Amino acid sequence: MSSDIAEIEEPKISGNYSARTQHRWIPAKEAAEGEAATEASGDGSMAGGSPQKDVDEIHHRISKFHVSPAQMYSTESGRMFHAGAICIVMVGLPARGKTNLSIGLCRYLRWLGVRANLFHFGDYRREQTKQVNSDLYNLKPADEDASGVREKLREVVMGDMINFFKNEGGQVAIFDGVNGLSKERVSLADQMKQQNVRTIFIESQIDDAKLLKSNINDATSSPDYENWDQKTAVEDYAKRIEEVSKFYEPMSEKTFTWIRTQNFGRTMLINQLKHDFLTTKIIFYLINVKIKSGSVYFARCSNNKLRFKSDPALDEKGHSYISKLYNALLSHFKEKGNKQGFPQDLEVWTSTRLRTIQAAEVFREAGLMVKPRPDMTQLNPGAAEGLSEEELKQKYPTDYKQHQLDPYHHRYPRAESYHDLALKLEPLILEAGRVNNDVLIIADETVIRVFYGYLMASSSTDISSMRFPQNEIIEITYNAYANQAHRITIPGVLSD
Amino acid sequence: MVGLPARGKSFISQKIRRYLSWLSVPTESFTQSSFRKKRAESLKFMDDELFDPLNEKGKKLRLLSHQDCMGAILNWFSNHQSGVAIYDGANITRDIRKKIKETLSSSDVQTLFLESYCDDESKVRANIQDINQTSPDYMDKTVEYTLADLKKKIRFYDSFYEPMNVEYEGDCTFIKVLNLSSEILINRIESYLQSRIVYYVMNLHVKPRYIWLSRHGESQYNLEGKIGGDADLSERGWKYARRLKDMAEKYIPNHGSLHVWTSTLTRTQQTASFLPYPKKTWKALDELDAGSCDGLTYEEIAERFPEDFKARDDNKFEYRYPGGESYRDVITRLEPIIMELENQENVLVITHQAVLRCIYAYFMNVHQEESPWMSIPLHTLIRLEIRAYDTLVTRIKADIPAVSTYKEKGTSKLGETRDNSKILAGDVISTGKS
Repeated sequence: MSSDIAEIEEPKISGNYSARTQHRWIPAKEAAEGEAATEASGDGSMAGGSPQKDVDEIHHRISKFHVSPAQMYSTESGRMFHAGAICIVMVGLPARGKTNLSIGLCRYLRWLGVRANLFHFGDYRREQTKQVNSDLYNLKPADEDASGVREKLREVVMGDMINFFKNEGGQVAIFDGVNGLSKERVSLADQMKQQNVRTIFIESQIDDAKLLKSNINDATSSPDYENWDQKTAVEDYAKRIEEVSKFYEPMSEKTFTWIRTQNFGRTMLINQLKHDFLTTKIIFYLINVKIKSGSVYFARCSNNKLRFKSDPALDEKGHSYISKLYNALLSHFKEKGNKQGFPQDLEVWTSTRLRTIQAAEVFREAGLMVKPRPDMTQLNPGAAEGLSEEELKQKYPTDYKQHQLDPYHHRYPRAESYHDLALKLEPLILEAGRVNNDVLIIADETVIRVFYGYLMASSSTDISSMRFPQNEIIEITYNAYANQAHRITIPGVLSD
Repeated sequence: MVGLPARGKSFISQKIRRYLSWLSVPTESFTQSSFRKKRAESLKFMDDELFDPLNEKGKKLRLLSHQDCMGAILNWFSNHQSGVAIYDGANITRDIRKKIKETLSSSDVQTLFLESYCDDESKVRANIQDINQTSPDYMDKTVEYTLADLKKKIRFYDSFYEPMNVEYEGDCTFIKVLNLSSEILINRIESYLQSRIVYYVMNLHVKPRYIWLSRHGESQYNLEGKIGGDADLSERGWKYARRLKDMAEKYIPNHGSLHVWTSTLTRTQQTASFLPYPKKTWKALDELDAGSCDGLTYEEIAERFPEDFKARDDNKFEYRYPGGESYRDVITRLEPIIMELENQENVLVITHQAVLRCIYAYFMNVHQEESPWMSIPLHTLIRLEIRAYDTLVTRIKADIPAVSTYKEKGTSKLGETRDNSKILAGDVISTGKS
């Protein structure tokens, strides 16, 4: 080996001359500024981005600087996983939950860091034509005018999607519409192919009468039926379904990649599966999705000034807090029209900390199912625990600076970041979306922030500063179009 | 598992076991045929009789071995609070599936059936050839023998095979993979873990193939004993980069269709720079981020962060550098890479020591306590041969000297390990000095 040693060169320059210059994420400050600039220019965003206004941001156009909660890293192109660009085309009769599915999918893909946007055919139609003309729903309208309008609308959607791929760094466009004619689908896939975009069709079929009925009821709350009475709206919608069914052609194209989900993921058939990460991740989401009608409630546990590792029993103050929380939620359910109070199938999730388990005891006594979840433990603050801003600044000056720049990803020594917490919580978030009943989550504020960030499609730059004070229960209601957050004040408890 | 012989059931079982273990989910696979063999030995029973539909003794033996297998599975669950047991057998009748589901649900265990259905003769034949080469049952037999024997078994089972469908078994949770996953039917997936398994199975394909791995060539930082950074290659590193082109041509059989993946760091891209194949740059392949220790030597770390230095040696898998990553973090971000590797036919991955340890652990089923201590030498092309029953490793050495970047537990000095368990398994090919 002596001859080898002779070959070892002297280092050319001493010192740390070639440290890593690339970072896993776009520095958060830059991202926040970028996003603010995009929003200020009014670039498609529908409302101000402040998370404390409790707006579901899923319908905001996604900016180039957006960093999602569970994103593993940023790339220069903005595209992830070398998956290229994908156009997801929803296929199905009205009331098959296509909008619901496409929004849920968009939420999940964005959470993973994929730049995804929604293109609802209904929105384009409403923009173009004010009155609802039943001929418009006929897939092969006899009337030439109606036929022209349909064609034109499709062209506009197409143009917008292509623009999103070409100029906005978009990776996944989700086209939410009936897309019921094979001819239309073939032409769409062809046009996308010319742009180097792959097309995946997702067809939603429902033959479960109960599911269909509840979907029709949901649909009549859409903007199309503003100021209609329920009965006439349902009748009109039934007519619309009939009209569309006349010429509807289910997916059968052998060469296309398509996924048929029956009764919302109960049974799924996949044709021409393309083996790549993003496609299988999309299917993974579809397996996990359910039509979710209930709500998730979030409440804090009483005392979070405790040290991370200490696990004391619930103290007297805590007991009094919990009984106030219990009563506030009880009267909320009564107001909603539940005579017995809590719905019998309400699930209560807590962490495995003694105080949260004890806090849930009163719900267990009321006959509700209580599930302690080990992964719901709060963010581990590591060495920063119990230190004030001033102390942090003094003790960890560099860390402090980095933390200010990127509080979502930065970790103090031996701490967890929100990003870590988000990855850990993903299974629970998906599970909360799978169970059919309401869920009450009693957890630390850090955990609530991450859940909220998923359900309301927040950007990672906002999550760490969201406020969920002790005197509020946050109710997030799943909705086909946009989730709704609502805060219930707990009487007799002070905000912290 | 559900399906006729030669449908890749064992392959899928082994893959699932490896993947879930890699994600730290306790998983065990139980092969019905091994229980049958034990029973057959004690009863002095010939295989021929076993697959004779008219033979009552054979029927009884099959039932006994099924019961043995179920017993072993239930026993495994009584020792594990959570986890996944895989019943690797044919389970081709609705009746037996119903019984399995009932038995398990009375022990509070969920059942997921995974059927591999294949009516494409050419795919079955290819699979039989693979079984002949790799299955412990047939390794010493001729292809003709294996073909005849398996055909007989297939014919036997086919006479009472009831494939799964929604009409009869709509209440069961199942996934049906048709013709090796070009088409998939999924029914009633009811938990997150089930959906994870389905997701993984969608990414599998059964073809035997090679995966090629290499560390980047020796870098300036390697010479100085520093970790992390984004340094250029050393002169010997450049030499390796040039040699790698010849090695690819000589040792990679179908290198015309090779794809090369690198990380975003300079040293892997320089290493790939002479390779005339399509390339992809993955951020997910970047070296484990050493945070504030980036750019330090182990001696400096031991001096400046003594607590961290010790904590890392104590639990290297979980330890996270201040402001950096742990091995567990790397495994989380490697998910897309692993899925893409399962889908690819012919890839050379040029990446870093820690990342290669994680990828190697996945394919070779190395326990998480040991994987961060594996020695992955510089200037070596590693060939993984992915087969149904196991993965074979071959190291092709470029024979260009390089420093060792291996650090033994409890020291801050670098030097190759003498512990054989930490050295990669398999054959070594030396390309000789030129």
